[in-house]
Formats: sequence, structure tokens, C-alpha cells
Amino acid sequence: MFDPTTFVEEQVASIRETVKGKAIIACSGGVDSTTAAVIASRALGDRLLAVYIDTGLMRKDETRDVDLTLKELKVNHTILDAADEYFAALKGVADPERKRIVIGNKFIELFEREAKGFGAEYLVQGTIAPDWIESGGQLRDRIKSHHNVAGLPPDMKLKLVEPLRDIYKDEVRKVARALGVRVAERQPFPGPAFAVRVLGEVTPERTAVVREACAIVEEEIEAAAKKGLMTLPWQYFAVLLPVRSVGVHGDVRVYGHTIAVRAVESVDGMSATYSRLPHEILDRISVRVTNEVKGVNRVVYDVSHKPPATIEWE
Amino acid sequence: MRIHVVDNGGQWTHREWRVLKYLGVDTKIVPNDTPSADLKGLGGLVLSGGAPRVGVDPGKMGRNGEYLDALDLPVLGICAGHQFMAKHFGGDAAPAEIPEFGKSVVTVEKPDVLFEGLPTTFEVWESHNDEVSVLPDRFVALASSPNCAIQAMRSLDRPLFGLQFHPEVEDTQFGTDIFRNFVRECERLQR
Repeated sequence: MFDPTTFVEEQVASIRETVKGKAIIACSGGVDSTTAAVIASRALGDRLLAVYIDTGLMRKDETRDVDLTLKELKVNHTILDAADEYFAALKGVADPERKRIVIGNKFIELFEREAKGFGAEYLVQGTIAPDWIESGGQLRDRIKSHHNVAGLPPDMKLKLVEPLRDIYKDEVRKVARALGVRVAERQPFPGPAFAVRVLGEVTPERTAVVREACAIVEEEIEAAAKKGLMTLPWQYFAVLLPVRSVGVHGDVRVYGHTIAVRAVESVDGMSATYSRLPHEILDRISVRVTNEVKGVNRVVYDVSHKPPATIEWE
Repeated sequence: MRIHVVDNGGQWTHREWRVLKYLGVDTKIVPNDTPSADLKGLGGLVLSGGAPRVGVDPGKMGRNGEYLDALDLPVLGICAGHQFMAKHFGGDAAPAEIPEFGKSVVTVEKPDVLFEGLPTTFEVWESHNDEVSVLPDRFVALASSPNCAIQAMRSLDRPLFGLQFHPEVEDTQFGTDIFRNFVRECERLQR
């Protein structure tokens, strides 16, 4: 089986062995990168700087939460506000693979800038097995370009260190629990964030729509789980579709946006089944999203497994 | 017990490695162009699935054929590995009339060591465009699903097994048991 304590010892030793001098770690505040940050911090202490980038594509209150988490874990960190840069880079980009590459390149550009300032030659990442598996290479087909693997430019100067490369989300959670990381149970959130949940072009306005819808999905499902009406799915979120449809608001025709609700059960993210959400929860989500999120007049529920679908839509 | 996983470019190759590791097997993922001489002395071999279409681009299956011919080991071929095994021994693989993606149900038609202790029908996870269309001589079909007649096969002469579905995937029922049965068979034959 998998022993998290031994795993941490091995990885701390390996990072100490590999990293001469200083390193930065790319930290989104999710389970993977936070766990990697704690491991790297144990190995390197103040020779490590965690860098969180607010891309403008994050969830409600995420930046504040991440700041708090890293403070609690006593990880030396810095927060960059780069929302304008990301939206400028994504302007006119609708293709999902293009988006992922643009975002990956932008991340590295900013990380290289930070690394230079800090005097670091190494970049630690919380890359886990599905990231490099799905990014493909040689015989393996590319399912999607994970920004932290396929989004890295070929001429990148920073040397990569990836302590979680051979493990999956369920194993990362075991490590996180062993390290006392509060976000151990947090649901996965994609690196490109809302850019892959806004289908089509990513604008600040469309991002705001999906952010509001996603917050409602999270609130309703978490409240229902707390009340014991259902168990918390492995992952649950909203997607803004590039499809408009007809509706009626106060006796007036509207032509509005569509939100897809997605909730799945999985262990490792490499296969998944759609969650059997109770109808009353779907009903609450539908009423709230169509009433509270401006411009949305239709909500659909995604009943696809992985495969043939993937968990995220892009 | 040492069992290596030959990587044919599957999404779940690394999962096969993980299941074997969890079963306490000394395992490693190796590229499919590894010389067969490097694999001598193992207790068994898993041929992973992958993106290559066995019928269309056999070149991408590297040295899988050499492993089947030169190494006298128990082999478990999964998906593309299973299709390759069929074609290699004179059977055939072709595009499935109804490809299967995600959930399906398998029925064991013929009891075998691989399915020991398992119920006759169980849920499995699939992901394939092609399937074994012709069984090689001296092979028997062991299991089927509604849309695929040969979900499992084995050789009558050697410990060679093929599975169209993916026992390494979490959502497949009894997947770990199937691997455990394969590992036991490897142990039995090594003695």
C-alpha cells in the first residue's frame, strides 16, 4: 500500500539532494501544490519561496484563502496580481488547447521573473500523475495540455522539481493529511481555473458569470452534504456554455446563456462517474442560478462518465 | 515477485503500475522498445493499452511481439496489448462495430484462474475503438460484453491472457482481484 510518512521522508531527502541554492514553488492553493509546498518547505526552509498568481480566473475569495493557508503552514510566500495580463493574453482565444498553452506560458514568464528576483534556479511544481499522463508525449496521445507540463516553453531556464509526479489525488490527500494541511479535502480545481470553464472566449464578464454560478453550485451541494441529504461528490462545479437559448422573463422574450452543472465521483481523476445528485438539490441550483446570475436562463446537468467525457469540459 | 509493465502509450499504464505496486509486486514501467534481453528473469509481464491502432500502426507496438516470442513468461495483455496478442498469434483485430467507452458489463463465459473468486457478471470500464475480431488458434474466449464478444481470452498452451476491458481502473469492479489472480499465477509458475 501507500505510506504517506515514508513518502514525505523520501521526497524531502530527494529535494535536499537535488536543489542546490534556492527554489520557487508554483502554488495555486489547491491540494497538490500546497502539499508540494509543505514538502519543499521542509526540505529547503527559507531557500523556498511559494508564488501564488491571481490570474483573475480564480474562485470567489480564493486569493485571500490561499494567503491564509500559506501563512498557517508557515510557508514563505508572495502573491502576484496578474489579472490584466491574463485577460490580455487570452483575448480572442477560443480554442481549449490554445488557452491552456497561453496560460502555461504566461505562468512560466511570471515564475521566471519571480525566480530571478529571488535568485532561484529551480521551480517546484505540484504536478501529479494525471497531469503528465493526459498531456501525452511520444506514444501517449494528448488528451489535454496541462499547463504545468505541456504549457512549459521548450526553452525554459528553470530546472523542474516535481515531488508528486508518481502519485494521484487520493494519495496526495493522504500525504496532505499526514502533513496537517487544511486544504487536504478540498475538491480539485484546474490550473487554468475558470478559463477552461468558460467555453469559447474568456472575458472578465463571462468569467464573472461562471464564478457566480460555480459559487452557487458549491454552496448548495456543500449545504446539502452538511445536512446529510447527500455525500460530497469528488468534484462539483459550473461551466458556462457557448450556447444561447430562448427563455421568458416577466412576459418578455430573452435569449440567454446556459450553465452546465457537473458533479462526479472518482478516486484518482483517471476515470469518473457522474454523481446522482438528488433532484431537490438540482432544483435549488437551477432556481438560484437562473435568478441570481445575470444573463443565464437555462441550467443543464451533465450525466457523462469519464471516459468517454473528461471531468472538465476543456 | 517482479512484474514489469510495458508502456504502449495508455492513459492507464501508470494505473497498472500502481495496482501491482499496491499488491506488493516489484514493478516498473518500461518503454515498448526495451530489448527483450533486459526483461529476462521477470516473473511476468503486462502489455498495456494505448493509443496505437494495432491493425493500422503495428510499428508503434514496438517489441511486444518479441516479448511474446522470446520470453517464456506469463503475460497479461490489456486493451491494445490484448488485441496485439490476438493478431500476433494469427488471429485478428479490427474496428468494433460498436466501440465501448466507459461503463459496460462483462459476463464470464468460461471459468479461468484469472476470474477465480469473481461473480459471473460484473461492471467494467472500457475505452476502445478496435476489438479482437478473430481468435487465434489454440486460444479460448473467456468473457464477453453485450457489444464485444471477446472481452477476455487465454492461450491453451501458455500462460498468456488478454483482456479488452481495463482491470486497472478504479471503476472496474474486482479489478484488483483480477491482478491478484494474475500475480498468483505468476508466482505459481515461477516455483
